Amino acid sequence: MAYKRQRPPSPSAAQKRSRGEAKNVTVGTALPPDEEGDDGAFVPVWKQTVTDEQGRRRLHGAFTGGFSAGYFNTVGSKEGWVPKTFVSSRTNRHKDQANAASQRAEDFMDEEDLAEAAESRQLETAQGFASIGVAEHGANDGFFGLFVIEQDTVGVKIAQKMGWRRAQGVGRKVRRLARLDEAMGVASGDATSEHTFAPTDACTMVPLAEEVRRKGLGHRPEARLARTSEKEAASSPSLVLTSLGNSTTSIKPKSVQAKNSSFGVGVLNDTGSDDEDPYELGPKITLNKSIGKEKKFKKPSKFPKSAVAGHTFLTKRELVGSALSASRPPHNGKTPLNGFTIATQSLETKRKFPPPTIPPGWTSARSLVHTSDMQSFPSVADAAKSSTLDAKARASLLHETLLPGKSVFDFISKETRDHIAALTGKTDLPQGLGQSASDGYQAADQAQSKDLWKFVPVLDKAVAAAALAKGAAGWMPYAENQKKRARYVSFLELKAGLKNDLPERLDGVSTSVWVKELHEFAHAAEVFKPSSGIMASRFISSASTRSSAAEPGSSLLRQPAAVPEDPAEQAAKLSMYGAMTRSKLPFHPARLLCKRFDVKSPPEVPTHVDNFNSKATTAEAVSKSSMDEIRHLTLVPNPQLPKTLQGSVPAVLAPEYHAIVDVESNEALLTERASEDLFKAIFGNDADEDDD
Amino acid sequence: MPPFPTTPIARLTGHNGIVHAVTYSSGSSSYILTGASDRTIRLYNPLKAPPDSEAPSASSTYAPGLVSKYSAHGYEVLSLDVDRDNEKFVSTGGDKTVFLWDVQTAQTIQRWSGHNARVNRGVFAGSADSVIVTGSFDGTVKLWDTKTRNWKPIMTLDDAKDSVTDVAVFDCEILCASVDGRVRSYDIRMGGCEVDVIGYPVTSLAVSKKGTEMLVSSLDSAVRLIDRTNGQLLKAYRDDAFVNTELRVRSTLGLNDSVVLSGSEDGMVFAWDLLEGECLHKFRHAEMREVKGKGALNGKEKRKKDIVSAVAFCPTRREWASAGGDGNVVVWGM
Repeated sequence: MAYKRQRPPSPSAAQKRSRGEAKNVTVGTALPPDEEGDDGAFVPVWKQTVTDEQGRRRLHGAFTGGFSAGYFNTVGSKEGWVPKTFVSSRTNRHKDQANAASQRAEDFMDEEDLAEAAESRQLETAQGFASIGVAEHGANDGFFGLFVIEQDTVGVKIAQKMGWRRAQGVGRKVRRLARLDEAMGVASGDATSEHTFAPTDACTMVPLAEEVRRKGLGHRPEARLARTSEKEAASSPSLVLTSLGNSTTSIKPKSVQAKNSSFGVGVLNDTGSDDEDPYELGPKITLNKSIGKEKKFKKPSKFPKSAVAGHTFLTKRELVGSALSASRPPHNGKTPLNGFTIATQSLETKRKFPPPTIPPGWTSARSLVHTSDMQSFPSVADAAKSSTLDAKARASLLHETLLPGKSVFDFISKETRDHIAALTGKTDLPQGLGQSASDGYQAADQAQSKDLWKFVPVLDKAVAAAALAKGAAGWMPYAENQKKRARYVSFLELKAGLKNDLPERLDGVSTSVWVKELHEFAHAAEVFKPSSGIMASRFISSASTRSSAAEPGSSLLRQPAAVPEDPAEQAAKLSMYGAMTRSKLPFHPARLLCKRFDVKSPPEVPTHVDNFNSKATTAEAVSKSSMDEIRHLTLVPNPQLPKTLQGSVPAVLAPEYHAIVDVESNEALLTERASEDLFKAIFGNDADEDDD
Repeated sequence: MPPFPTTPIARLTGHNGIVHAVTYSSGSSSYILTGASDRTIRLYNPLKAPPDSEAPSASSTYAPGLVSKYSAHGYEVLSLDVDRDNEKFVSTGGDKTVFLWDVQTAQTIQRWSGHNARVNRGVFAGSADSVIVTGSFDGTVKLWDTKTRNWKPIMTLDDAKDSVTDVAVFDCEILCASVDGRVRSYDIRMGGCEVDVIGYPVTSLAVSKKGTEMLVSSLDSAVRLIDRTNGQLLKAYRDDAFVNTELRVRSTLGLNDSVVLSGSEDGMVFAWDLLEGECLHKFRHAEMREVKGKGALNGKEKRKKDIVSAVAFCPTRREWASAGGDGNVVVWGM
C-alpha cells in the first residue's frame, strides 16, 4: 500500500524548511499550499496522514476508530458491537463461526472497489468452441454468435503474417486517390492526393466450366441468378473461397431488386451525399461511379467468364461429361480439384524447328590439320613403357646431377635383391649393395624415441611401485619368460620413477608389438599389484606355473604344484611342538594401549619407525602419507643400495636406534656427586644455605 | 583328585537357536549369561531353573530362571564376556559390531563397528577392563577403548592370515587363535609377538591361571595343552568319541586347572584329567546324563542340533555349564 511516497528518516537541510515556502523563484503569485496533496515537503511523522487512493484518511485516532477496517470506514460493525469470547485460532480455528458465513473478498471492498470489480468482470466466450458452418451465418441470429469463436483458417493466418489485413485484397498495392467519401460522406476529390493502397477485397473466381449458352427461349438468367447464388452461398460455402476476409458485404450478391424510386428525398432519407441525384428519372440503373479496377467486381458481369463463382449453370450433359472426365483415372492419381477437369488436349508447346539441312557438296572453309599424322605420335605413357632407360640413365642423359639420396637397392642385401628379381622377373634391377645407413639415419629408434615416449602407457606411480614391491616380495608374472619379466621389471621401474630411459625394445620388434607389450605390462601391473585390505587375506598368490605344456604326454589338466610346506607346520603335524613351531614377530603396541594396560611402553619404541615394521597398524600418530613413504622406501628395492641391505633394512637397523636400558643400575645415581665447590661456583652460596 | 560334578542341577531354557556362548558372571558367579543364534542374550539365575524346567510355550513368558533379556543384535550372538564388577558385558556376533552393554538397563553403552566380517570373540582386557579385544572373521584383532567414546580401535592386529576364532587375555598378553593354525601371543609389556604353530585350524583358546599354559582346541579332534614359555606340547587330549572337525567347539580348564572340559560336535561333553590326559567323564548334553563306557552314539546319526558348542566352568564353585544346539544350557553340579 505504497500510496504515499516514502520519506527519508531524517530530512536533509534543504527540506528543513517550513511547509508552504516556495522552493523556486516563481513568477506571479504562488498557489496556496495544497493541504491535502503531498507536495514533497517535509512533514514530521506525527503530522503525516495515511490516505487511501481516494484521499480519505485511512487511519483514525484511537478514539475515533483506529484502523479503518470497520463498517464502511467507520467505527463498529453492521450489527454494532457484539460481545464475543476469544477463541484462539491456534488450536481451534473459527470454532464459534461454524455456521457463520465465511468472509469473502467483497466484504472488505468499498463501493469503488466493488465497481471496479464489476467493471473488470466480462462475459466472454469460451475458447476453442467450434462453430459449425460459417461464422457469418451465426452472427445473424442473435445469441448464436456469442458462442461461436471465429477461428482463422491457416491460410488467413499465413496471409496475415505476410502483411495482409482483413478487408483488403490480395496483390500489389494500388496507387489511387484516397476514397474518403465512403467513410465521411464528403466530396473529397480535390482534397486528396494519390497514395498507394492495398487493393480492395475481391472475390477470387474459380471459373468452373465454360458456359455453353444454350438457353432456351424466354430464359432469364438474371432473374434466377440471385436465387441460385444465394442457394449456392448458403449450401456450399466451402466450395468457393468467396473472400479472403470475412466481410459480409463483399460476398453478398448485390440485390437485384430494383430500387424503389420516389420523387424527392425526405430529410430522413438524405444521406448527405451529393452524388445521388434524388430527382433522377427513368429506370434506376446502378451505374458504376467509381474509378478503376473495382468496376468489374462491383457489378456482376453478364459475361460468364467474369461471373462470380458458383453462378455457372451446368446442363445435365455437361455434368455427365465432367463426371466422366472425373471418373477417368487422372494422371497423378488424384481427382482434379472441384470444378476442374483434366485437359483432354495437351497444351501447345513452343514449336521446334529442325536444324537446317546442309546442302550437298558444301565444304567448310576451315580444314582440320593432319588428321592422318595423329597416329604416329605415341603417348607419353607409351613412350615411357617402350623406353629401356631407367631413372639414372635418364638423369645422365639429361645431364642432371645425381640426387644425394640412395636407392633402396643400396641398402638391401644381395640375396634380397635376387629374391626380388626372381619374384618380379626383372633382371635389370640394380645390384643390392647392402650398405649400412649413413650416420644421420643410423639409429632410427633413437631418433624416434621422442615420438615413442607417447606410446608408453600411463601407469600410476604407486601402482607401479606396489607391483614392483610385490615382485620383490616373491611373485611376479612372466615366470616362463625371463627376458619378458626383465622388460616388465624395467617398465615398472620406469613408471615407479627409478629409471627414466625408454623401455627396452628387442631388435627386430616392430613398434606396434612393442607398444602392445607395454600396454600388457601396464595392465599386468594393475592386475598383479598386491591386493589390499580384507581382499589380501582372501587370496594367496598362485604358485608359478611351470611350462608343463611343453612336456609331451602331460595331461592338459594342470596339477597345482605342491606348495612347499612350512617347516613349522610340518613340525606341528608331527607333534614336534617347541622351538620348531615357535617364531617371533615384532610387535609395537600403541602408547594408548600400554596406558590402558597400565604398563610402560616397551623400551624400543622409536616413534616413527615402529609402525611400518610390524603389520599391526595403530590408529594414531603417523600420517598416511608418511606411512606410504616409509613403506615405499622399504618395499621397493633400491638398486643403489647394496644387496645386503635390501629387504632386511629395518630388521638390521632397528637395534641401533635404541639406547640400552639397564633397569638394575642408574647411571645418574651411581656417579659420584660433584664437589661442593662446583655447586657453589654455579649456584652461589645462599641457595645451598637456604635449603639447609 | 577332587570329585567332578556330574549331576545336572539346572536347565536353562528359552533360546530358539544354537547357544553359541555361555559365561558365568564375575564375582560370586551366581548368574549365567547366554548368547544364541536367535540374536538374544539372556541372563539366567540357575538356582531358579530346576533341571526339569521346560521352555515356555509362548515366547512372551519368561522361562524359569530367566532374569533379563538383551536384544539388540541383528545376527547371531557368538561370544560374551562379563567385566569384573558385573556392570557391563561385551557381546559380539554376526553383525560385525561389538556391543558393550549395561547389565542393569539392558541397553548398549557403546557399539563399535570396524570389523569387516562377523566378530567371533570379544573379551575384556587391560586394567579395570578398559580395553575390549575382539577377533573377527576378517582376520584381524582389534582393540577398542572403553574409556573414551572413540569409535576407532586403539590398534588393529592383522597378522593372522585367516579368521580369528578366539581371543584370550592374560595379564598384558593378548592371545589370538586363528584358522590359519597359529596362536599368536602379543606381549604388550615387552613388545613382541610369539607365534605358535598348531598345524590345524584352532577353534578355542584358554589360558591357565598361572598363565604358563594354554589350552588349544583344533579341528583335528584334539585339545592340546601347550607350554607358553617354550611352545612345547604338554599334553594332547583325545577320545574316540570326541569329534571336532568342522565346527567351533569351545574347551575350557576347570577345577583349579586340573580338568580339561570340551564340548563336541556330536552332542557330548568330555572331561579329561589335565595331568594324566585320560578321559574322566563323558556327558550327553541333550539327555542330561553321564555316559559310561564307549559313549559313542548308539546307532544314532549325528545331527547339527547335537553340537555342544560352548562350555563354561564356574570359577568359584564345583559347577559347570554346557550349551548345546538344542537351545538349552545344562548346569552340572555335585
